[in-house]
Amino acid sequence: MTVAEERVQRLHELAREAAAACHDERAKRYVRRARRVAERHRLSLPREFERFTCDRCDAALRPGKNARVRLQDGHVVVTCDCGNQARYPYD
Amino acid sequence: MAVTPETLVRHELVGLDVEVVSASNPDLVGVAGTVVAETTQTLEIERADGTSRVSQVPKAAATFAFDLPDGRTVTVAGERLVARPARRTEQTGDSQWR
Repeated sequence: MTVAEERVQRLHELAREAAAACHDERAKRYVRRARRVAERHRLSLPREFERFTCDRCDAALRPGKNARVRLQDGHVVVTCDCGNQARYPYD
Repeated sequence: MAVTPETLVRHELVGLDVEVVSASNPDLVGVAGTVVAETTQTLEIERADGTSRVSQVPKAAATFAFDLPDGRTVTVAGERLVARPARRTEQTGDSQWR
């Protein structure tokens, strides 16, 4: 695993911890930094990262804390506190 | 590639425990705590002395002692860290792009 891949993973963990501790702006900075590192190194982001960060406000989403998760026919809907909704399919 | 003394200057600094060993500003010497944010020129350190105040320390004018997750302590001259945070990782070639 390269330094860049590890850095993305580490920033994701840090963002999740910061979001749990209500350091929302800090968590957003970590998410943006992880995206930037991945972009510069042409890495694809881990699936977990893509599904549990907000595309609109860069929040690290933690269901029950700053996100709501609803199961529907054929897909899952994750709603961020900013109002953005993201969907992903089952399987 | 874990955080080691060799990879530290290219790795993520946020989340590591750090102490300022020397600095041109005497008030900053001895600031110890966790790194919470990084900019091109500075590190923001949340102090571990109970106040949890955040000190913004210029990288270029300080020497830092980082505690690595494996328990070792590494002293780094701050000038080696002066770069945009996402850019530091690129500086020796394990990127396949260049």
